[in-house]
Amino acid sequence: MSDESTTARNAHTADARTTRRPQVFRLDEEHITLAPPEPAEPEYAPLDAAALSPRKSGWPWGSIFWSALGGVVSLAFYVALSRLITDLFAQSEWLGYLGAGVALVLVLAALGLVVREVGGLYRLAHLDHIRDEAISALAEDDRAKAEKVTREMLKLTAENPGLARARVDLEGHLGSIIDGGDLVRLTERTLLPNLDSRARQMVSDAAKNVSVVTAISPRALLDLAFVLFTAVSLMRRLAQLYGGRPGALGMLRLFRHVLGHLAITGGMAAGDTLVQQLVGQGVAAKLSAKLGEGVVNGMLTARLGLAAIAVTRPLPFDALPAPRLADVATGLLRKAEEEEQKKPKDGART
Amino acid sequence: MAGFADALDDARIALMSLADRTTGLANPTLRLGVTGLSRAGKTIFTTALVHALTQSARMPVFEAASSGRIAHARLEPQPNDAVPRFAYEAHMASLQQARAWPESTTRVSELRIALRYATPRGSLRNLTLDLVDYPGEWLLDLPLLDMSYADFSRQSLSLARAAPRSAVSGPYLAAVATNPPTAPADESRAREVAGQFTAYLAACRSDTLAMSLLPPGRFLMPGELEGSPALTFAPLDLPDDGTTRSNTLGAMMERRFEAYKSAVVRPFFRNHFSRLDRQIVLVDILSALNAGPAALADLERALDGILAAFRTGRNSLVSTLFRPRVEKVLFAATKADHLHRSSHDRLEAILAKLVERARLRAHERGAALDVVALAAIRATREARVRRDGQDLDAIVGTPEKGQRAGGHVFDGEEEVAVFPGDLPLDPDSLFDPSDTGFRGLAAENPEAADFRFLRFRPPAGIGEGRAIPHIRLDRALQFLIGDRLV
Repeated sequence: MSDESTTARNAHTADARTTRRPQVFRLDEEHITLAPPEPAEPEYAPLDAAALSPRKSGWPWGSIFWSALGGVVSLAFYVALSRLITDLFAQSEWLGYLGAGVALVLVLAALGLVVREVGGLYRLAHLDHIRDEAISALAEDDRAKAEKVTREMLKLTAENPGLARARVDLEGHLGSIIDGGDLVRLTERTLLPNLDSRARQMVSDAAKNVSVVTAISPRALLDLAFVLFTAVSLMRRLAQLYGGRPGALGMLRLFRHVLGHLAITGGMAAGDTLVQQLVGQGVAAKLSAKLGEGVVNGMLTARLGLAAIAVTRPLPFDALPAPRLADVATGLLRKAEEEEQKKPKDGART
Repeated sequence: MAGFADALDDARIALMSLADRTTGLANPTLRLGVTGLSRAGKTIFTTALVHALTQSARMPVFEAASSGRIAHARLEPQPNDAVPRFAYEAHMASLQQARAWPESTTRVSELRIALRYATPRGSLRNLTLDLVDYPGEWLLDLPLLDMSYADFSRQSLSLARAAPRSAVSGPYLAAVATNPPTAPADESRAREVAGQFTAYLAACRSDTLAMSLLPPGRFLMPGELEGSPALTFAPLDLPDDGTTRSNTLGAMMERRFEAYKSAVVRPFFRNHFSRLDRQIVLVDILSALNAGPAALADLERALDGILAAFRTGRNSLVSTLFRPRVEKVLFAATKADHLHRSSHDRLEAILAKLVERARLRAHERGAALDVVALAAIRATREARVRRDGQDLDAIVGTPEKGQRAGGHVFDGEEEVAVFPGDLPLDPDSLFDPSDTGFRGLAAENPEAADFRFLRFRPPAGIGEGRAIPHIRLDRALQFLIGDRLV
């Protein structure tokens, strides 16, 4: 923020040149701060959740309905609870105290849950916010924004012990003269390669698990349940990896986000063609039906995983290559091919 | 005649590039040209670049170095026996021991660095980096190839008669007047006019005028050709049809002008310039700002001349073999350390404005062109000075001995904080044709100048095992050679 105000002031005085002539100062004069003026810690306006979601037109009937319903339900709950406690007191005094205590714990726990959920939502929104900032810093080559992004990323990765050295390096570079876009790329290159490779591994493992389970499971419904379960846990772990730690509500939001991303990209990314063609040109067809289903489900999971990476990673892929379907799904195909090669031999023996 | 010479040159260039590529198959080579008008900081840039690569300096933005993929970078014997070696060690010694800037580039020189690096996938590769350092003035000679002596005379004389050059061109114009082209061909007359012409060119380059467009380039940097007939000519006041009769001074000058083209300009173009793969052009905008609007306009014209010389564009398979083009050109505004970091963007904007036309042309042909504000060796620190209720972003350094500002002459030891003036937010205001854009040292009252960029001594303590401080040298390297290290 301080940089922007400096720029504004310079712009103002550039016209009135007489006030800012070239000048030379001896170092023993007064009011000379020798240490390079590090930009002060950027201040943030607190995140406005309403501003982040797209604005809707007209009366918010939906939210009025849900708030009213919430009010009615909590009133009913309160009445029921107070009546229960009154009844308990009527029965005997100690039972009443016990009831009141338990009710208190219940309320506290509910509060705790709410706080945690809100925290999870906030962290997810924060990841989005960092990514937006990074994208605009890259586009505008804006140093002030880039510095903000880098500081945020340093905070976000502060609990990752493997990045201690990288963080120290990056903190050292913050003071030197690097352009905005370069700084964001440097941050990405310094902090994210390890996380990226772990994320890739997670997606690839999940895809393999799904394909194996689908291939051996007896019922379609079971497959579906397993795919869903794996997808959700994959998303949660990816968000955790990149610093999101979403709660239940956060997971819902994330899920929506991921599905939205899949819809936009059509589940396709550049570089998918290889796998697509392999599948299209008969690898899947050659495999037995069950195995083919496994590959398809695995691929679905892999795609979900890639979409989840795209929406949970706090920086856009710029300096590092984005993982492609081929990177996380090649294991699947190889596995399927191996299985397929094993099969004829088995068949010949029997 | 010229057409035949061009065709012959093209054939030779094709042969040479074919030979280059064949040897390049076994050992990939990248030829990086470092140029710029005099005092732009070519020698310093090359020295700092070699030091940074070989000593693995701190270069966060240069990805290959910061991620540790460069196993080593070593100086190797220079391959071309006929070209002087870039005197890296001597320049380093000058920086370290005398704490003085190295001598400037007056001729073409080369240096070879062998890089061993790992690709991101892990296999080890070699890359040979040939640095070719040559004066930018020589590039201004390239347009002469398409010019006749009559054109050259007309252009040079009209420049000499116009302000601000008219302030120093008096003796030369007098010599032109007393030596008409119809005078008999006589060596002493030729020497007189050429001597005055050279003196006039040298005067144009002084600090207060800081002119840039001064062809022919070798007149100011004659090297081993000094005194030869090819350098003893000058533009004369030719009649409008541009013809000269035989055995006159005019004919003699015309012949020498042609000799200059064939003996000096063509060989340089063929042997050095046409073989470059990447090019960095260093531009000293701050000196032009120091001197005034005329110097800036002149710099713009000179840059136009330089840009016209480049063959840019992405190489196709055929062009790689026979007529390689410069694929990437980086324009660098040097001496960015003379400004506070908050002004670097504005400096870049001014440079971008200067090379706007080149950027369009390069873009059409698929070549990459970028601009950067850099300081290969950072001689200053930053500071903030509070005066009259406002904060001034100043820089702190040791001005060279004899530099003066505000009635104070520096002794070369004292460290001072300097506020050099505000660069304008909108670069267009500097290029105001009415010459009122800003005031420089060339104006009547030098003390009222809008900008004052002092010359600083190099930082103390270079070469004591510490990296040389720099500004965006890493970004320049990443742009110029980063894509060849993957």
